[in-house]
Amino acid sequence: MAKAFRNTRKGIAGYLEPGERDLVRKLFGDIITMLEPDEVANEDPLAAMVGLDEKAETPSDPALFRLLPNAVNNDDDEALEFRRLTERSLRETKVGALRAASLALDSSRLLLDYEQGQIFSRALNDVRLVLAQRLEIESTEDADRIHEVLEPSQAEDVEQYLALVYNFTTWLQESLMQALVDQLDQRGQQPPEPPGDQ
Amino acid sequence: MTVIAGSTPDTDQQTDVEQLIDTDIPWVVIVWNDPVNLMSYVSFVFQSYFGYSDAKAHRLMMEVHEQGKSVVANGAKEKMEQHTTAMHSYGLWATYQKAD
Repeated sequence: MAKAFRNTRKGIAGYLEPGERDLVRKLFGDIITMLEPDEVANEDPLAAMVGLDEKAETPSDPALFRLLPNAVNNDDDEALEFRRLTERSLRETKVGALRAASLALDSSRLLLDYEQGQIFSRALNDVRLVLAQRLEIESTEDADRIHEVLEPSQAEDVEQYLALVYNFTTWLQESLMQALVDQLDQRGQQPPEPPGDQ
Repeated sequence: MTVIAGSTPDTDQQTDVEQLIDTDIPWVVIVWNDPVNLMSYVSFVFQSYFGYSDAKAHRLMMEVHEQGKSVVANGAKEKMEQHTTAMHSYGLWATYQKAD
């Protein structure tokens, strides 16, 4: 069984069984596949270099749209123009985080420093956003319904299996957040006032 | 946002002047609620990315959670565009617009 992330003297430590690591790696890989831009023939190399994509369109897949949402509400033209200026870079940033997070899964004992922990949490978050779209989690009530699926023996169909996976990644991310928040608190704390009678 | 038992901090009663949006500053970044992002994660992003205090990050997160949205930054348009893209890189649902 996986163990929750916790802070140790060496960093943020976690533990995943080989099967759990394979699952998480596969999930990261699936999101990378969704996000990698299609190869474009005869592309303007300068435009590619600076991250422009003149042909970017609003994603028709709701899960991809959740990963790459509109930056502007109620103005489709401005939203699309902004997407063409920024979406390629955003995809690359996300793919970079997902690849880096995959590398952390090389052994069952995971050990992350603060930056790696942040990257891992972003990768898990993108996985959860996509799973949530597939599970049609649109409200708190939907989320509560999914959270009730906890036992592998309950998983009788694809949706329930996905719900288990969603709950597992939620648990994993939440434990990572507790470790990261504790580190952030320690970083932000001023050294305590020296005791004394000044 | 998703509420995980045991992780919900105490309600933040603090109000501060930063809550008031300066109407001279024309652009804002809004983060919208969704049922997926963890409260701890959203608060952590506000703290680590914007450099907000624990209390301010938590207050903004609770605004998103309870009121459906929160203005998390204001300033020049270009900067607000950058912040919006950064929020998207974290998986938060954010938009930029002119301040009302």
